[in-house]
Amino acid sequence: MIQKWFSRDIMYLMADIVVNVLIAFLFGSILLGLHRKVMARIQLRPGPPIIQHFLHSLKFFFKETSFPKTAAMPFYVAIVVILCAIWVTAVIVGPVSQGSLLIIFGVYALYKIVEHNSGSSSGSPYGKMSCVRAVFSAAAELPLFAVIAIVYLKTGTMNIAEIIAYQSVHGALIFSVPLATIVFFVLILSKSPYSPFAITKGKDLVSGYETEHFGFLRGFLMLSESMSWYVILWVFLTIFLAPLSLVGYLVGMIVITAITAIINAVTPIFNPNHSIMTQISIAIVGIGGSLLLMLIA
Amino acid sequence: MIELNYLIYIVVFIVGAIAGLLFSYKKHGEPIIFKEINYLVLIMSIIGFFLLFNYGLISFILIPLISISISLFLISFVLGMRPGYGRYEIAIGLMISIIIWIINNLIHL
Repeated sequence: MIQKWFSRDIMYLMADIVVNVLIAFLFGSILLGLHRKVMARIQLRPGPPIIQHFLHSLKFFFKETSFPKTAAMPFYVAIVVILCAIWVTAVIVGPVSQGSLLIIFGVYALYKIVEHNSGSSSGSPYGKMSCVRAVFSAAAELPLFAVIAIVYLKTGTMNIAEIIAYQSVHGALIFSVPLATIVFFVLILSKSPYSPFAITKGKDLVSGYETEHFGFLRGFLMLSESMSWYVILWVFLTIFLAPLSLVGYLVGMIVITAITAIINAVTPIFNPNHSIMTQISIAIVGIGGSLLLMLIA
Repeated sequence: MIELNYLIYIVVFIVGAIAGLLFSYKKHGEPIIFKEINYLVLIMSIIGFFLLFNYGLISFILIPLISISISLFLISFVLGMRPGYGRYEIAIGLMISIIIWIINNLIHL
């Protein structure tokens, strides 16, 4: 009997994971498509349909896969699998099980390393340029850890389910730690496509760290990108605006995507030192201000 | 599992958008934006937005899962058309369905 229930629970969990991963991929793709569409409309271009990112991802699964002579095998292939695996892990820890925030941010730290190694593993100078900038943009991780610390100091927990419970009693954290919310938003901005803090990446031939990955490898990279965008937005909404219904998440994600698209459409890409200094400055003001507010209150 | 419903909605939305894109490219090959209203698309838009905002009105005929899925298919069909096409149809459909929603809520107040 116990074994029967145990297996039923496992089956239910597996189904939950599959459904959530699919939602993360599909909805993340639509959000990234919306992001491009909003940017295009602001720049007075018609822009692609909002399902373009999804179609683009699918297309690569059916294209011929080739491997550059300069690629560091098997690392060149493994890095794609690792990237996909870490974002599936993030979906499991986040929307599925509402586990520890630390694992989510561990995933994010790994993402930076994978982004860097994906660019350098091909041996291409284009990929390398992007991967060097990915290392520079690791500056965005310091404020991230500081935000976790502030959330911990405020709520007394790192567990996402408990943070949601805390907010349902005491109100959304966006009102009690607004400066930390801004710092986290800057992190989202840094991860959004074509942002002032983003890695060098075009829509055409030179696609940042993805430049030298072809066929299904590129498809997996794009799939991971979609999941990463969905998870980052989910984490933001959950930490600062919970408790939300699924419709609330839907609307929140669309609104944040549109806001980042508007900012990115009117802002040039910063050079690395400006990018880092801006992020660090916002982080110092945000974190320092949040701590000060918590001490006063 | 409520997430399964949302997965169905997302899949239906994507299928509708692809269908709309294929339909509009087949119908309009010209490079200039066509400014006349397509009545078939307009009807789809009106029905789609009506079902999305007012699915409660017909819940005795269709369960919300089906009516919302149909509405998302129709809306994404119009939204997913070639850039520049379907704008007027979306605006008209949205306005009519919002008016019906407001009237319905006023009646029930």
